[in-house]
Amino acid sequence: MKAEPLIDSAFLEKLERLAIRWQKSFPGLVGGHNISHFAGPGQEFLDHRQFHHGDDLRAVNWRAYLRLEKLFLKMFQVEPRIPVRILLDCSNSMTTGAVSKFDYARKLAAALCYVGLVRLDTICIQPFGHELGDSFLCGGGRHRFIPAVKFLEQLKPGGRTNYFQIARDFISTYPQRGLLVIISDFLDDAGCERPLQYLADFGHELILVQVWADEDREPGWDGLLDLTDAETGERLEIGFDDAARTNYMQAFDAHSRDIQRVGLRNSGRYVGLSTATTIEEAVFGPLARAGGIE
Amino acid sequence: MFFLNLSLPEFLAILGSLSGVVVALYLLDRMRKHHTVATLRFFAAAEKPPVLKHRRKLQQPWSLLLQLISLLLLLLAMAQLRLGSPARYSRDHVLILDTSAWMAARIGDARPGNVRLIDRARLAADNYVNALPPADRVMVVRADVLAMPVLLFESDRKKIHLAIDQTQPGAAPLNLQTALDFAVQAQKVQAQRPGEIVFVGAARIPSAQTARLNVPGNFRLIAIDGPTEHVGLRKVSVHRAMDDPDAWEVFIAAKNYGTMARSLPMTVAFGGSPVATRRFDLKPAAEENVTFRFKTRAAGWLEARLGAQDAFRQDSRAILELPPRGALPVTIYSAEPDLLRPIFNAIPGIDASFLPVLNYKPDARGGIVVLDHFAPPSPPATQSIWLEPPADKSPIPVRSTEQKVKLSRWQADHPLGAGLRARDTELASAQIFRAAPGDIVVARSDAGPLIVARPGTPKIVVLGFHPVRSGMKYQLTTPLLFANMIRWMAPDAFRSWELTAGTVGTVDVELESEVDPNSIRVQTEDGRQLPFTMSGKSLRFFTAAPGVVRVLTGDRELVYSLTLPQPGDAVWKPANVKIGLPPRAPIGPTSRDLWQWLALAGAAGLLADWILFGRIDRRMRAAQGVALGEFWRKAS
Repeated sequence: MKAEPLIDSAFLEKLERLAIRWQKSFPGLVGGHNISHFAGPGQEFLDHRQFHHGDDLRAVNWRAYLRLEKLFLKMFQVEPRIPVRILLDCSNSMTTGAVSKFDYARKLAAALCYVGLVRLDTICIQPFGHELGDSFLCGGGRHRFIPAVKFLEQLKPGGRTNYFQIARDFISTYPQRGLLVIISDFLDDAGCERPLQYLADFGHELILVQVWADEDREPGWDGLLDLTDAETGERLEIGFDDAARTNYMQAFDAHSRDIQRVGLRNSGRYVGLSTATTIEEAVFGPLARAGGIE
Repeated sequence: MFFLNLSLPEFLAILGSLSGVVVALYLLDRMRKHHTVATLRFFAAAEKPPVLKHRRKLQQPWSLLLQLISLLLLLLAMAQLRLGSPARYSRDHVLILDTSAWMAARIGDARPGNVRLIDRARLAADNYVNALPPADRVMVVRADVLAMPVLLFESDRKKIHLAIDQTQPGAAPLNLQTALDFAVQAQKVQAQRPGEIVFVGAARIPSAQTARLNVPGNFRLIAIDGPTEHVGLRKVSVHRAMDDPDAWEVFIAAKNYGTMARSLPMTVAFGGSPVATRRFDLKPAAEENVTFRFKTRAAGWLEARLGAQDAFRQDSRAILELPPRGALPVTIYSAEPDLLRPIFNAIPGIDASFLPVLNYKPDARGGIVVLDHFAPPSPPATQSIWLEPPADKSPIPVRSTEQKVKLSRWQADHPLGAGLRARDTELASAQIFRAAPGDIVVARSDAGPLIVARPGTPKIVVLGFHPVRSGMKYQLTTPLLFANMIRWMAPDAFRSWELTAGTVGTVDVELESEVDPNSIRVQTEDGRQLPFTMSGKSLRFFTAAPGVVRVLTGDRELVYSLTLPQPGDAVWKPANVKIGLPPRAPIGPTSRDLWQWLALAGAAGLLADWILFGRIDRRMRAAQGVALGEFWRKAS
């Protein structure tokens, strides 16, 4: 049976009018908004134009002058100044739930990647589990989207989340500050608030996208349960009833509030998404309202 | 209190099995459920220490009890628990309603306002059904010459009364033995506990049947008394007279079914005009017949009417449709018509006209054309007889013309040569033909064929000599030869007709000779073929519906107008059988159905369990959870 595509073309057309937004001014980089689609100093040739007084003579196309005896100035594409990095959780905890959180996260990452590529941003997709996996860097326009989709499709979930290790590796691997979109369930038994704080302190602007399945937030079971942790394999026998369910939900919501607090405290943004929400609703609803894209 | 559907051991076995399954499912449902979750940290926060000893204990005993009670109630409903005495088992009865023609007779006289026998029979049948215990099932069978079930064993009284009320008398006589055999067979095959076989009707059957009726032991007769005095037509038959084709011979038989001598007038009308009036003087149980003849060539209705003013008038009038007497046109083109005129005038059923050869028209009127010493420029479109045609224009090639030829042999096994005996007739001059394959050589000489017939369309017969001019002039063979040729070419013109008014059922036809069954057709008015059997000269067919049936056997057509009802001549009065309505079933000891209430109670129990112990509760929680999730998304 043919696998369902990660994202369909009709949805992609709707995404074309969006752009990824950030608020921070990063040291040494042009801050504010992405202006990468303007011409300027860079390495990639963009176009020619007529030479005017005051233009940099180094950019004159002398070969064209020799043939045509006219001065043409070469224009170059500005390199992305703000790197957009998408950290995608591929741990085993993302596989639970009636609707796979992992698939949902991949679709969301693909949508964000397309939005960035349309605006000529440079997008780095960085999967992670217990450590950082192989990343995928793409930029230069929408034609690079297909390789990005193929990269996302070949990802396999596995391993146990370790946010401390991830934060440490990320800071050492990517010294340049930028926009960091983390799509995860943020379920790390060691806690993920402090590692996220470290990333923010390092200078990254955080967009935290918490994905949960309905069973994660409100288990519908009753009676005697034999539970197994998807990541650690630990087992727990528990009598579960309405009171226990209420306690569970309160604990889950408290955890979500902690994640949200970390994001907002560091001039970042937080978006909580249930897998029951469609990707389109998520992008044009909570994600747009939070200011992650516009 | 007893079960209808199950015995007690069966009931207990099923209850035990199902209860075991329910308890097993219940325990299985209450066992630990295994789930893989994203994290245990929130469960740890909500944790209640599991009580291991509860695994071996029923956690919701009231739920289990409610389920078991509901199961018990449903099973009791399926077993059809009844209150009352088990002695009153329901039984399956067969109710035979007499729908013979006699049931249309009215009480008193035949005025339309009077009650018919069938009305009384229906009322008696309704009373019989009402007298039965409510659980008893009844099969309704309508019986005339056939037994026709209209309702299989059914306990719904509305359906039974509807089937009874829709019963109407037919046109056939009653064959009671067939109905009884059918009822016995139905009880053997389909009945759970055979009850009675009840016959409701006048039981007027042929006296020959009464002696050999085989009555089952569980038979009950509810006799409907009808009028005793009745005179009716038994048979009306019409056929053409042998000596005069324009005359019809009419045979009418009438019977006195009553106990008093009757003298009744009988009128026969054709096309509304009386053609005969006779009087029947009938002694009790006697049958008389009259015959007379009348002449007509026209077609029309022949109506025989008996002046009986009794309660059953359906058999006091019979109508037959007489066909026209047609004449086959025969056109003779001859220069010497006087030679042939005596021959054709001697053949009945033809209209001969003699014309000179100059008046020949190839598209002349239908029928048969005779060409005497003449070959037309274009051959005739109809059947034709050629007498000594010119050798070069003969339709059958002429091999030679011989002098002093002896006619030596006739084709006696063919209709063209049937009955021809003349031998050694010397012909002064004759043409010898060259017969083609398929041609019929009717007469031949030693030199070759003298008379050749060619079947096909149209048929042709060519004679190599002129019979009247030859030595055959004064022999009987000559007119017979022409008659054979015309009969072979137009058999319909010589078809004999016989019309009979009779009753539906089995009809026996006596044929004149043994006929090939493949050449016989028995068909209804709308052309539908009826099956028949042959035994020697006797043909037998059966029809249960009134109407006209035609039997075609070669040149003979028998028309049966099976519309004359024929009541039985004896009223069956058996001994040693139960007579009349049974006593109404007592209400008190009769068992009463409880299964509806048991089923409702069982369903209510299951519904209560669903509401009280979790299922619906979980659904409501799930719905509540969706709402909370939506709120949470909006808040985030």
